[in-house]
Amino acid sequence: MAPPDDLVARAQAGDQTAFRELYRQHVGRVYALCLRLTANSGDAEERTQDVFVRLWDKLRTFRGESAFSSWLHRLAVNVVLNERRTTVRRERRVMPVEDPVNVGGAQHTAPFQVGLSIDLERAIAELPDGAREVFVLYDIEGYAHAEIAELVGIAEGTSKAQLFRARQLLREKLAG
Amino acid sequence: MNEDELQRAVGSLPKSIEPPRDLWPGIQARLRNRRNWYWIPLVAAAVLVLVLIARSIQTQPAWDVTNLAGRPLLGTTPLAASGRLRVGDWLQTDDSSRALIAVGHIGQVEVKPGTRLQLVAARRDDHRLALARGGIDATVDAVPRLFFVETPAGTAIDLGCAYTLETDSLGNGRLHVTRGEVEFATGLRSSRVLLGAIIQTRRAIGPGIPYVEDAPGPLVRALVAFDFEQGGARAARNILALARAQDAMSLWHLLQRVDPTLRATVYDRLAALVPPPPGVTRARAIALDSRALAGYWTKIHSIHFRRMILRGVREIDPRTGTTLRHE
Repeated sequence: MAPPDDLVARAQAGDQTAFRELYRQHVGRVYALCLRLTANSGDAEERTQDVFVRLWDKLRTFRGESAFSSWLHRLAVNVVLNERRTTVRRERRVMPVEDPVNVGGAQHTAPFQVGLSIDLERAIAELPDGAREVFVLYDIEGYAHAEIAELVGIAEGTSKAQLFRARQLLREKLAG
Repeated sequence: MNEDELQRAVGSLPKSIEPPRDLWPGIQARLRNRRNWYWIPLVAAAVLVLVLIARSIQTQPAWDVTNLAGRPLLGTTPLAASGRLRVGDWLQTDDSSRALIAVGHIGQVEVKPGTRLQLVAARRDDHRLALARGGIDATVDAVPRLFFVETPAGTAIDLGCAYTLETDSLGNGRLHVTRGEVEFATGLRSSRVLLGAIIQTRRAIGPGIPYVEDAPGPLVRALVAFDFEQGGARAARNILALARAQDAMSLWHLLQRVDPTLRATVYDRLAALVPPPPGVTRARAIALDSRALAGYWTKIHSIHFRRMILRGVREIDPRTGTTLRHE
């Protein structure tokens, strides 16, 4: 495997083989983010493709001032949130019975944890949009409230309130 | 579930989830399409630029110039049989050369020997030359205020006419209208020159008072003294003494240029030579009321044109514009 910096440099130069390798390395992380933010596997696939198409366009602007994965992650968040702002609210949501295996992911090995993860993923997907976005960005992806406020276009206080609401709803769902 | 348990559960969530299918083919197809589409706007933009450049070259304002005699210079290039005078170009004739400029589609200008002029604007609503020195015969057949000739002494504004305009190397000159009417103006002073009338022009002063072609020499000298030699009240009184009914055009201008203390005297003389039309009162005329002046001008203009047009055909009373009947 080529070093990440080398791959990025080659992809920046227009090498699509290198770009495909970047895709292969990062698609799981991007898809996970898209799936959790959209709560819909079909939308998540589309957004993931959008992210990599956008990445191809924007790659030349990456200056290496942060880790490539962080930069890509931020790009993905922007793509998903922009899409949500500019399209109608999605009607079809991931329902708990739809594809719990996909939502749960295949990388966990402990059976108990897999079960809990599926329940949690399901509960997250059922959260209201605003609460889900803040929860995913803060608790799962590690963004600060100030960053979330800027990304989502809400006040920092609203971000905190949505997080509180999301956690409360999740606790209730998982307790039941 | 309490807060800690929730946080532990969240911490155990996978950071990475593989999509259920390979998304790369779709990405690759979109990138390929994007590459194709990427060029379309670029090519379209390039074509558009080329078309605009071609059109701008084709439509770049330029007037046809024909060589009438000698070797006029178009810029620094001797004019062959004909050429194109573009905005910014200079046309120059020596003592033995002449040229004819087509003023767009509205007229023509014959450039006399010893002339230097520039095309300043060639738009539909602004046909404009700058006459640095020399002389031109202009003939324009268009609505008023489409054709302008700038000189060091002011601008000749076509009001539908033909005229000869000359300016010397000092910027002083003369305008003679041979058809229609011309306004000659600076920012401060304006003269309306009717068919068969003449004005002198001076750099830094502007147009003098117009006078008819057959105006007596002493009257012309008095006008020049008043306009350009600080003749003041004395020159004004000379003008009044020498003016005839056919010089009403001159007195109408004089009324607006004399010292206010002399306006009543000028008005009275003008009214004695050509009675004012109904609605024009002495007080309003002396106060230089624009409607009163315009009304008076209309009458003077009408009588003057009638005289000029019927010259040699019928004798017209210069006081009233009616046909004179000889007993």
